[in-house]
Amino acid sequence: MGEGWPVLGTTLVVGTTFGVVARQSGLQPLEIAGMSIFVFAGASQFAMVQLLSEKAPTAIVIASVLFINLRHLLMATSLRAQVQALPLVGRLVAAFFLTDESFAMATGHFRRGGRSLAYYFVFAVSLYVLWNLATLAGVAIGGAIGDPRRFGVDFAITATFIGIVVLAIRRPADIVIAIAAALVAGGLALAGASTIAVITAGALAPLIAVFARR
Amino acid sequence: MIWIAIFGSAVATFLVRSLPFAVTIRGRLPGGASRYLEALPVAIIAALVGPAVVAPASALTHGAEPVAAALVIATVAWRRSLLAGVIVGVVAVALLRMI
Repeated sequence: MGEGWPVLGTTLVVGTTFGVVARQSGLQPLEIAGMSIFVFAGASQFAMVQLLSEKAPTAIVIASVLFINLRHLLMATSLRAQVQALPLVGRLVAAFFLTDESFAMATGHFRRGGRSLAYYFVFAVSLYVLWNLATLAGVAIGGAIGDPRRFGVDFAITATFIGIVVLAIRRPADIVIAIAAALVAGGLALAGASTIAVITAGALAPLIAVFARR
Repeated sequence: MIWIAIFGSAVATFLVRSLPFAVTIRGRLPGGASRYLEALPVAIIAALVGPAVVAPASALTHGAEPVAAALVIATVAWRRSLLAGVIVGVVAVALLRMI
């Protein structure tokens, strides 16, 4: 469990940042807490805040969250063998708490020959509790800061996205996809295109990976 | 409306997390589909970054955001730390906007 501390620390910081930027964007404390309680997905929650503050249509918010989280299909598929012994309710509970972080920790644990699902549940639920507490702390701080643009706090969400993208890059094709998506989306936004067009550009960019040789 | 977005997003997220645990799908995804799914989050998040950097608050940037974005990329690539990147980005944007 010891190797989980950096992940827990990052969760605390990112969760607090989420609470701050969500509060600064004008969302109500109950709505922000609701996102962390029910959606429980870091990058998508930041995306929701940004899209809601741009007054994007509800369907676009939900579709963007779906796109960002589609990768969980792959993660859950790779963990399926380990949870197969659980009854359906247990598997659904395990699925609710599945995040990039709990997936990475569980995969490491099982690759080292670990068999116990308790490891997964303890870690995944700890992340959930911490994420929600950090969100509330951020909401409290965000309410006290005042005008977000004065301290550059409004840029925290963009900086978080950039960091997520940089850390997620594995192959040269990822860099091409990220730059293409960002440039096309930025150009569309400057031209006055709707959020729908911007998200569609993002959803099309990974086709580069499908056709790239390596 | 916001609560519909929250519950809709919650359902969408739970669906993709639970589907492989709940039902058994025979066979494997074709390579192209799985490469698409793997690259999708990076692309969607990058698509959210682009407009926020070139047109924050729906108007052409005065230069602070692109410079700060470059600093964030450099910091995260160098330190491999999200936190360091966010701190550098926020401080840089706050300073650059004063110029």
